[in-house]
Amino acid sequence: MVFNSFSYFIFLPLVFVIFLAVTDRYRWLVLLLSSYVYYGFILKPILLIALTAVILVTFLIGRLIDRSEDRSKRRMFLWVGVFINLTLLIYFKYLPFLVHNINQLCVSLGIDIAFDKPLLLASIGLSFFIFQAISYLADIYYRMAKPEPHLGYFALYISFFPKLLQGPIERAGDLIPQLKVKYELNYNNIRFGILLFTWGLLKKIVIADRIGLYVDVVYNDVHSFTGLPLLLATYAYAFQIYMDFSGYTDMALGSARLFNIELTQNFNSPYLATSVADYWRRWHISLSSWIRDYIFEPLQMNFRNWKHWGTALALVLAFIISGIWHGASWGFAIWGGLHGLYMACSVFYKPYQKKLHRALRLEKTFLLKVWQIFITFNLVSFALVFFRSNNLKDAVYLISNILYGKNGLNAGFLLSQGRLELAITMGSIMMFAYLAVNIFSSNRINDFNRKTSFNRYLIYNILILMVFFLANYSTKKTFIYFQF
Amino acid sequence: MTPDEIKNKLTEIIRDVLDDENLILDRETSANDVEDWDSLAHISIIVAIEKEFKVKFDLYELKPLKNLGEMIDLIQAKRTN
Repeated sequence: MVFNSFSYFIFLPLVFVIFLAVTDRYRWLVLLLSSYVYYGFILKPILLIALTAVILVTFLIGRLIDRSEDRSKRRMFLWVGVFINLTLLIYFKYLPFLVHNINQLCVSLGIDIAFDKPLLLASIGLSFFIFQAISYLADIYYRMAKPEPHLGYFALYISFFPKLLQGPIERAGDLIPQLKVKYELNYNNIRFGILLFTWGLLKKIVIADRIGLYVDVVYNDVHSFTGLPLLLATYAYAFQIYMDFSGYTDMALGSARLFNIELTQNFNSPYLATSVADYWRRWHISLSSWIRDYIFEPLQMNFRNWKHWGTALALVLAFIISGIWHGASWGFAIWGGLHGLYMACSVFYKPYQKKLHRALRLEKTFLLKVWQIFITFNLVSFALVFFRSNNLKDAVYLISNILYGKNGLNAGFLLSQGRLELAITMGSIMMFAYLAVNIFSSNRINDFNRKTSFNRYLIYNILILMVFFLANYSTKKTFIYFQF
Repeated sequence: MTPDEIKNKLTEIIRDVLDDENLILDRETSANDVEDWDSLAHISIIVAIEKEFKVKFDLYELKPLKNLGEMIDLIQAKRTN
């Protein structure tokens, strides 16, 4: 069930009403059953089986780890748990890709073996909740958390529907205690939840989907373009994916807020980042902190005697894994590898960078900040070419032709949907920008409740009108991060 | 070595890695409290501590540590063994 579907608009209030109606004792059960119904709506029963398997196995192994005193026994159970979870993920998501590449390798090596290509199984949500399960086991192993004794709460922790399909990836210590708090009707949370949800919806169906129309024109037919359109489409995609994913996250956080649950923030103005390291503290925060805590730190610890090279290698490996997490393609691996390379390079030049800024007397100046933001945004956009391109050939073509070509400055693709659509898109973006800066910026949004009711209702109406009239209904677009 | 001596040595190491002679650290200080203490600084500090106190750490021991005080206790425990 996608957040921007009529089924969800009926599902969410219905669940909320039932949730309110039952006694507090059974509220977790309402949420758990609803989460199963939610996941079931995708009509792929095998996913429900996978979810149940992850819940039961992880629950059991969590207890086994905790009950063992002996550290090597604990580590053994951890590896068993991680292995089972990863095997499930690989089976559902990566097997066809692996088999295909093994077959290619055999062909190029002259080996006469070809494995049957397995069916690609849907894997919506798996990447998120399996990573969450692994964090649970690791936290228990590292003695940073205790296993949850109640299977119901644990199952809800894994399957909670607002975050089931696209995260955030929640840590046990953050979410489980909240699930257990007695629910008390909180009018502010309900209001804020609905507002946040609507704002996210606007980001997705008005802004992201509209920008997507133009990005698709170029990226689905790169060879017809050279020069400026390639550049503009890439920058546009940077905004499209941010609006799409942060829009989804707002809808998730807004949904959870109705139940007094605060899910973790996934974004913090990522394009204001002053370095790639800073970008990863602002973009998909729940994933990058997961990668940092469970992949990067252990690797870095292992390589610590190789000084900067050790950290650099740990970064490259961690980011390649992060890339592959997004999907089974070389494009994602390269995207991750590029970020790993960016980060690895910064390990070496960071000390010199500080000295250079001091010497040029630019330290802490506005000019330096603008420069750093500009550079970082371009580095991120460059890597996005590999993320968005339909295949590697397209990506290479795009990069090679971004500065050249006889129609170098022609941005005619912007008229591909007609002049009216372009005007509506531009207008929507301007309205959105105004609302974002003046009302919904992170430091302003908490003031929202203090506005007069006239102002509040005016804003609600603007949002609803924008959603109804400015949304892009021409293509039914799912969330970009749905495919991860 | 007394805990205070360990704390002083640790402060010296951290000031050196972070290139800030004015840092004041106490038992409650954690990495989040200090500017520029990122993951690169962190591993450099760990390696420097291992060298200085002649101990070997394991991530298993380090992960649950919450502040400088707990690190001091860990170092002392390892040295008495």
